[in-house]
Amino acid sequence: MSPAVSIELLPLGKTLRVERGTSLQDVLFAQGVEFPCGGRGRCKGCRVKVLAGEAAVSVEDRALISSDELAAGWRLSCRASAGGDLTLELAQWEAAILADDTGFAFTPQEGLGVAVDLGTTTLAAQLLDLRTGHVLAVRTALNAQGRHGADIMSRVEFAAHRGGQATLMELIRKQIGQLILELLSTAAGRDSELREVVIVGNTVMHHLFCDVSVEPLSRHPFESADGGLKIFSAALLGWQIASAATVRFLPSLGSFVGSDILAGVLATRLHESDALVALVDLGTNGEMVVGNRERLLCASTAAGPAFEGARISMGMRAASGAISEVSVTEGQVRCRVLGNVTPRGICGSGLVDAVAAGLESRRIQPSGRLTGGGVFPLLEPVSLTQADVRELQLAKGAIAAGLRILIQQWGARLENVSRLYLAGAFGNYINRTSAQRIGLLELPPEKVISAGNTALLGAKLALFSLHENDGSLAAIRQRIHHVPLNEDPQFQEIYVDAMGFPG
Amino acid sequence: MIDMKPLYEAVLKGDAATARALTEQALASGMEPITVVKEFMVPAMDEVGRRFECNEYFVPELLLAARAMKAALELVRPLLVKSGVEPQGRVVVGTVRGDLHDIGKNLVAAMLEGGGFEVVDLGVNVTPEKFIEAVKAKNANIVALSALLTTTMPAMRATIEAFKAAGLRDQVKIFVGGAPITQKFADDIGADGYSENAPGAVTLAKVHAARAA
Repeated sequence: MSPAVSIELLPLGKTLRVERGTSLQDVLFAQGVEFPCGGRGRCKGCRVKVLAGEAAVSVEDRALISSDELAAGWRLSCRASAGGDLTLELAQWEAAILADDTGFAFTPQEGLGVAVDLGTTTLAAQLLDLRTGHVLAVRTALNAQGRHGADIMSRVEFAAHRGGQATLMELIRKQIGQLILELLSTAAGRDSELREVVIVGNTVMHHLFCDVSVEPLSRHPFESADGGLKIFSAALLGWQIASAATVRFLPSLGSFVGSDILAGVLATRLHESDALVALVDLGTNGEMVVGNRERLLCASTAAGPAFEGARISMGMRAASGAISEVSVTEGQVRCRVLGNVTPRGICGSGLVDAVAAGLESRRIQPSGRLTGGGVFPLLEPVSLTQADVRELQLAKGAIAAGLRILIQQWGARLENVSRLYLAGAFGNYINRTSAQRIGLLELPPEKVISAGNTALLGAKLALFSLHENDGSLAAIRQRIHHVPLNEDPQFQEIYVDAMGFPG
Repeated sequence: MIDMKPLYEAVLKGDAATARALTEQALASGMEPITVVKEFMVPAMDEVGRRFECNEYFVPELLLAARAMKAALELVRPLLVKSGVEPQGRVVVGTVRGDLHDIGKNLVAAMLEGGGFEVVDLGVNVTPEKFIEAVKAKNANIVALSALLTTTMPAMRATIEAFKAAGLRDQVKIFVGGAPITQKFADDIGADGYSENAPGAVTLAKVHAARAA
């Protein structure tokens, strides 16, 4: 047996004992570090700074990390192993995951239920008393499939290789089973009362959990073979649960619009609205729904990960050290830093604010060009580069163009939309005035509502309507039509137009 | 001789109506079509490419400039064909099988046209067979492949293999591009070149044309 070595992780202040030669990817993944490219040495999202000890420089390190940074100790953790004792500083911070605590109307029933929001990156699960509607416990975790790729397309790619799909299925089934056991362990003595589990997620997550091949989602025409409602017994999934619980994975709306969005419709009651309303999830695969009680249209658009801080030179998640708010008063740039520490980077909400501030102070022209040199300094040492502004233009252009096309195809105008619900964590942090200023949401701020984790709320609502569930859900799903945006002949024109900023 | 500097400016600014009107005037005044292209249009597109490279221009400006260039070229091209002037090269462009993204591919096609190449744009979701057919039919010497998804990158390798199988691999240079593509991937699949952006693709094609001449 190899002798053990110590790895000290800063700023977590945690010391781990691992076998000599263990790959850092395995060690760090267990600590919540993400590997955006799946640990293949293609990006530098997993980089760590070696403060003490030795880590050899890999070929990929040389390709992606500058010689100055290498000398300072930066390495790709996915390419490194623990040859001896190490002290590492993580470039990532543990992410805060959004669970839902909104109140809702329900019909009392016997027993316990679990609602699960299965995201590509994160998982959120709640244990509910179906009689009182109380949330008894909450668990969140990073999706265990994350080590095999951060975004859905890299998961699809992994699944295409020998045994990949089965590996991903086993990982996620096991993880959710474990999460449910943990939830039940908090409800001492009632663990045999679990009756229903409802899971929502995007179409790729649905397929990977339900054992439907994701291969059709890898290429044109991107048509899923079977995105329907799937019902399992807990026993069939291999979950060691005391009761005979039924597990439902709600149906998808389209190839890239999943049951998380269907749940979002349930949560925001779009399907019951008299007025024209919209629901937008500002993720990598920006999903959106537009309509009212008569007709709903949905679409997904490749916004990319800019709002999550990826591909932005000093981008990071909304965590300690991130600039989260930027404003300009009398030509003076003011920044708010999360955790009130020295700034290390900028998160999505800060990015939207910074560009809005740049436009207001004329440091950024409507074309997106930065004036006065290629850099917009925010708060030492964080600044915005010209390339950062370009990344944001691509992301916000995709969302704005998607909304314009959906509203147009629905037969209305932007000003006819009475409310726009923003789903997801980012929706809670984004400044709505800035979002309008940069043309991301072309609606006045008072019409924009942060709706929180609508996927989890919708999953909970579904738990309480299971006796009529299969029928009513199917009816709602029938009224929502999927629009393939890139088949709209005007898509390119509208997208390019939406890349610019309002003057 | 009329002052043609405004034509250069019009293409640079993406003003299609002015570019077209000035080209009409130039041709009416007896200027050689090839002179209009070489002295004003190509330098303007080179400048557009330079500005894009240094982040001064972005996708919208690039697209507008390409449109202005196209409006002017439509007047000149028939005259060039009539007088037997050969293009710099013939390029078959398309997004590979399984992939539907086309904005990047459209930019490359427009910039190549602006750079004096004859472009055959096969659109999206193009099979290897269609690429091969087009190369044969048009006697093209360059093939430019686009892919925007990690899951459709393997179709690039398949297209290159199909050219080998058809015995045409040595007749064409194959260039690849798209957000997930890297120089290493291009080398791995045996492509002849890779560019990060549309202006870079024009440079690749020009270098090849100069070598072949």
